[in-house]
Amino acid sequence: MSPIFLLIPILFPVAGGFRLLLLKEQMEDRRRNRYSETIVCITSVLVFAALLAVRREPVMIYSFAGDFSIDFKVDGLSCLFAGMISVMWPFVMLYAFEYMQETREKNKFFAFYIMTYGVTLGVAFASNITTMYVFFEMLTLVTIPLVSYYHDHESMYAARKYAAFTIGGAGLAFITVIMTTVYGETGSFVYGGSLSINNISGIMKFAFAAGFFGFGAKAALFPLHSWLPTASAAPTPVTALLHAVAVVNSGVFAIIRLAWYVYGPEYLVDSGMQVTAILAACFTVVFAAVMALKERHFKRRLAYSTASNLSYMIFGVMLMTPEGLTAGLLHMLFHGIIKMSLFLCAGAFMHRTGNSYIYQVNGVGKRMPATFAFYTLGALSLTGIPLFCGFISKWNLVMAGIAADTALGILGVVCLIIAAFLCAMYTLSVSVRAFFPVDGTDHYGEERQEAGRLMLIPIVFFGILNILFGVFPAPIVSFIRQIAAGVL
Amino acid sequence: MLILSIVFAPFLCGILSYLIGKKSETVRDYFVILVTGAILGLTLVLYRNGPASFCIRGVLACGLSFASDGFRSVYAVITSLMWAGTALFAKEYFKEERENLNRYWFFVIVTLGATEGVMLSDDLMTAFLFFEILSFTSFTWIIHEETKAAVRAGYTYLFIAVIGGLVLFMGLALLYDAVGTLAYGELSAAVQAPLEKGKLMAAGVCILFGFGAKAGMVPVHVWLPKAHPAAPSPASALLSGILTKVGIFGILMTSMHVLAGNRTFGLLVLLLGVVTMFLGALLALFSVNLKRTLACSSMSQIGFILTGTGMMILLDSIGNEEGVVIARSGLMLHMVNHSLIKLTLFMAAGVVVMNLHTLTLDEIRGYGRNKRVLKISFLLGALGISGVPLANGYLSKTLLHEGIVEGIHHLSSCAGLLSCIEWIFLISGGFTFAYMLKLFLCVFVEKNTDPGRQALFDSVKSPGMNGASALAVFGSSLWMLILGQPAVSTRLAFRMTGFEEILHFRAFTFENLKGSFISLTIGGLVYLFVVRRFLVRGGSYVNLWPEKLDLEESVYRPVLTRILPGIFGPLAALFGENRILKPLAVLFGEKVFPSLAALFGENRLLTPAARFVMLIASILVRAMEMGTDGLIVLLRRTVVKERKVRGKPRAHPGLFRTVYTELSGAARPITSNFTFALMMTCIGIIIILCAVIYAVL
Repeated sequence: MSPIFLLIPILFPVAGGFRLLLLKEQMEDRRRNRYSETIVCITSVLVFAALLAVRREPVMIYSFAGDFSIDFKVDGLSCLFAGMISVMWPFVMLYAFEYMQETREKNKFFAFYIMTYGVTLGVAFASNITTMYVFFEMLTLVTIPLVSYYHDHESMYAARKYAAFTIGGAGLAFITVIMTTVYGETGSFVYGGSLSINNISGIMKFAFAAGFFGFGAKAALFPLHSWLPTASAAPTPVTALLHAVAVVNSGVFAIIRLAWYVYGPEYLVDSGMQVTAILAACFTVVFAAVMALKERHFKRRLAYSTASNLSYMIFGVMLMTPEGLTAGLLHMLFHGIIKMSLFLCAGAFMHRTGNSYIYQVNGVGKRMPATFAFYTLGALSLTGIPLFCGFISKWNLVMAGIAADTALGILGVVCLIIAAFLCAMYTLSVSVRAFFPVDGTDHYGEERQEAGRLMLIPIVFFGILNILFGVFPAPIVSFIRQIAAGVL
Repeated sequence: MLILSIVFAPFLCGILSYLIGKKSETVRDYFVILVTGAILGLTLVLYRNGPASFCIRGVLACGLSFASDGFRSVYAVITSLMWAGTALFAKEYFKEERENLNRYWFFVIVTLGATEGVMLSDDLMTAFLFFEILSFTSFTWIIHEETKAAVRAGYTYLFIAVIGGLVLFMGLALLYDAVGTLAYGELSAAVQAPLEKGKLMAAGVCILFGFGAKAGMVPVHVWLPKAHPAAPSPASALLSGILTKVGIFGILMTSMHVLAGNRTFGLLVLLLGVVTMFLGALLALFSVNLKRTLACSSMSQIGFILTGTGMMILLDSIGNEEGVVIARSGLMLHMVNHSLIKLTLFMAAGVVVMNLHTLTLDEIRGYGRNKRVLKISFLLGALGISGVPLANGYLSKTLLHEGIVEGIHHLSSCAGLLSCIEWIFLISGGFTFAYMLKLFLCVFVEKNTDPGRQALFDSVKSPGMNGASALAVFGSSLWMLILGQPAVSTRLAFRMTGFEEILHFRAFTFENLKGSFISLTIGGLVYLFVVRRFLVRGGSYVNLWPEKLDLEESVYRPVLTRILPGIFGPLAALFGENRILKPLAVLFGEKVFPSLAALFGENRLLTPAARFVMLIASILVRAMEMGTDGLIVLLRRTVVKERKVRGKPRAHPGLFRTVYTELSGAARPITSNFTFALMMTCIGIIIILCAVIYAVL
């Protein structure tokens, strides 16, 4: 199949979402749900068809101002990212149907939610930095209405902050786009980078820093991280899928493209930009973990934890070794699974009880045992306990850090271990509160009242994936190793 | 296959017992006894069969591999024996407090599988996997009663377990990176190759710390004295008897296969062991709570074992074969002895708890005066742990002592240090005798200060427990006598170590008896002149240990709860809550921009620019809302050809009017925020860059 077919999975959900906007708001829930789920499922099928069948070569859609063009291509990295989100999206849709049941303006919510899918695929399939930048900006725009969805003071503030931080970040990244395209003369993404090693100059180094922190704004990299906890004012399906996986991972994804496919390991190591990047990542890892520990709001705590974990990935990627990249990509995938399960459980708790603070969790384990059992599995996995997938990625990260044999690698590993300890404290203490309430602080009765079926299905699904990848990691690890070696 | 079923059957049975327990609690109780008994049978078969191994490739990070040899099969049997004993005892112990029992049993049985997994592991990765599982499953034992103290102890245990696990994880990663394997069999050969000794040492220290956290080694012992009193007695017996040994098992494997004969590592283990040994004994002496005393005593005995481990490594470093034999046999025997002793003692304590629901010495004083079975069992345990000749602790402690003496003779460079350690060893042994004497006399000999209470105690006829519990308590105490026979013990040591020399070890020579008698004399003196004089005031036991001297309360918790957030909190405040950025924005908004504006005259230039930027910001945020709304209405009218909505149409203020109103409201938060500055910068940069590009093109 010609790569031009890649346009179909990108445009189909955008068109499908847009049509939903035109439908009447008063339509039956069942009809809307069926419509949305169909669109998302078809898109997922299209994505997999595209990943399997499309030839691995770039196609140019449109070219402007000489050097700039909109190109698409499938390679190993986009396979991983697109494959990951296309498995997740249909399941979180189910969750959203139940979660959003009581709200108004559902057409708008689902329309933008579906459109985001297409735009994220655009980021995944982009074949040069210009295209990626365009979709990156669109991703911000299309998710703003989702963040401001509740229209209260808090979510409007969150939307403004989100817009400013990520558009501001993208503004910085714009510098990189121009610099690498015009002065660096890089075209399509090439594994190992296409920037000439002789081209180390102050301006190109600055361009990298701008791109790193600019794209990093979406990956909640310090100091542009603070939008992420604020944005958890959005409905849970948005916080879970977009602010723990799709949007924030596209930030990491963009950094990988920039570091590995535009600049290249040699360039970054020689120019010393690697040091800046790793220091920033290490700092964010520990800093965000401490902030998560301090936070009392359930979803905000998880959001800080996301910030910490995203920097794990950046650390792995910026080690600039294939092992590091493998570890970073593994953590991208596994963290997505884990954080999804944590957020979905947190959302189920909020939806069922109407509470959103950690101290209100006391004793809820008897009321929602399945939800909190899966939450605990996720928490253990995030800490890096063997048997769960989080351990596999953490093992790879630590091994890569040690194998790098530099002070930076060891520093990163130490930060990782500290953050993992803090992670156990901030995630497991919630489980302990839920299942072992101290005498007299039990807010909930014995009566069992789980979340509904539609919400439980994705929770169980991600819980199973968590264990499955933890016990049988070999196939996925070797797949990702091939991507990281540039073979796929 | 046998190994596999020993390790994994408990996991399945745990789930089964949970399901059975939902239907009938009685059936579940019998089922649990049956399962633990069956596992005991299986491990005995494993012990008879001799060496075996099994591995599963392709799962987890490095696959799973199991093997059983002398030491490991003995410990597999001890593990299942402990479980069977406590299961037998627990049926009566829990007869009144039946809350959450289903959960308790589920985790107890699963932990059995995990513990067997560690004991029968053949590489450090497998050991680590099961080690982590048992860390988390045993957490539920401590927190079982859900009281405030239990929850606090539970948190302490959990966090020590997590940090121990992570440090261990780091150690394994370092080791794997250095030598490329984690299998015990291959490690010994792999570390011979020339490699960076520093890395190996770092790995060893991390592993020591990680396993030490579970063993109760100083400085990560803080969970131990708190967790034991909080947990139900059958669980305390397991915690103290087996779970601490899991930690020792890991340290032992490291010191036998990875850092065998590394002098620095040996000294480190030795010194930590000595501190643990002495501190534990001291804490136990001061304690006025039955189970806390036993817990501190566990810590002290772990110190004895670690001291032996340290001596083993040191003697290995000078190639003294005989010394290694003695030290290794001593420490392995002491592990077995301590497991069995603590099983007896904690179950005896459990009998007291289930009848009286308290553990304070003053309140339980005189309880056991007329309970003969309990008295004999406790006495045997006390004799065993104190190292009285003919009881089981004697031989193992003598061997440990002999190991130190051997070191004094052959390690000339640190003979002075070792002589000191020998005396600390003897004094700690004396303390052991003293605190066991204190407990025994208090519970079984003295009369309660309250005559009414004593009468109440006496009215309860012997033995204060039912047949099954008596069987468990008394049966386990018989081991003190059986293993007290040197012939039996040396054979066991031979089985565990594989050294034939140990069979010829003569236990009752004058030299060996002398060490024991010095220790017991010190103990007697300490009891008479310290305990009776200072620790008993006006007929009641007092706790003289200063509250402030608690490593956890005075160091660990403050570091975590105050210092770390104290460092990062302000940083977060700077960047998260706009402490620095907001003043900056205000500075620009109120000082710099206005003065610049004044420079250009009456805000002609900059204010309109700022307003323009704000307009863009507002439009961006509202564009999706308003723009699409307008577009939708338009499309509905034209493309979909929808008729007018029935009823009165809502007044629509129009896009620009809304943006204008929005703008006046939004202006404040935007201008006073970092957002504004950032937006300005970025848009400015974009404009400049566009200009540059067009100039270049």
